[in-house]
Amino acid sequence: MNDTELDALLATPLPERDAGEFSVLLMERIAQHEARPARILAWITSGVMLVVIAAACVFGASAIGHVELGDDSTHLLVPAALLGLTLILSYTVLQSVRE
Amino acid sequence: MDDRELVERAVKSRDVAAFNLLARQNQSKVRGLLLRLTRGNHALADDLAQETFLEAWRGITNFRGESSFSTWLYRIAYSRFLMQARKRKPDEPLDDWDGTTPSSEGQAQARIDLDRAMKKLAPAESAALTLCFALGLSNTEAADTMQIPLGTLKSHVLRGREKLKVILGDQS
Repeated sequence: MNDTELDALLATPLPERDAGEFSVLLMERIAQHEARPARILAWITSGVMLVVIAAACVFGASAIGHVELGDDSTHLLVPAALLGLTLILSYTVLQSVRE
Repeated sequence: MDDRELVERAVKSRDVAAFNLLARQNQSKVRGLLLRLTRGNHALADDLAQETFLEAWRGITNFRGESSFSTWLYRIAYSRFLMQARKRKPDEPLDDWDGTTPSSEGQAQARIDLDRAMKKLAPAESAALTLCFALGLSNTEAADTMQIPLGTLKSHVLRGREKLKVILGDQS
């Protein structure tokens, strides 16, 4: 084989490959990559939620043990605030998971 | 729409659809290059190609347009291949290649012979020849893609060509 023949052979374009399945897989991987921050946020929010729920339980238990409900309406403010916060966090988690 | 416009759209608005078009336009050559480098291991070549495009998506804002988008992709693909080759254990050889590819049926015997011969070359020689001839890069672009000096690239091309002539000469 001479130089010209070899050059011509080497210059043959690479075979065309179908983009279909490759492209679909790539888009899936990109979507997973893009969803990563949202997933991380979801996990962090879940952790904070657990802490809030635990705090609400502890507060509730201590309130029942020491004061009668209805005696002082201010005692209900803290559990109500914790409940509200939990609901907001739940909503955030749901939104993050949806993304 | 050409690569430059699509890159602009992908960079400015993180447009996945624009990047998808870019990937579709360039996937065949990137996969072809990696298939040569992995000596015909389709699964490994496609896996590396996926990683190449994912890395390109992550770092598309770093693309300055000094070279063409495809050359930038080849550089990522080649460095991915080198990373994978370093990780591979010495007793874990690349799959043996029978020289045929799914798309090569009915194509000239010469091409099959070339594919067979290519697997006997060192990866750097195979990459240099593929970049310079099959993908049509200039020597400077190919050297830049492989991140080696121009002189080293020319040596790889020369050595690769000499080896191919011997191998193909023996086969005929």
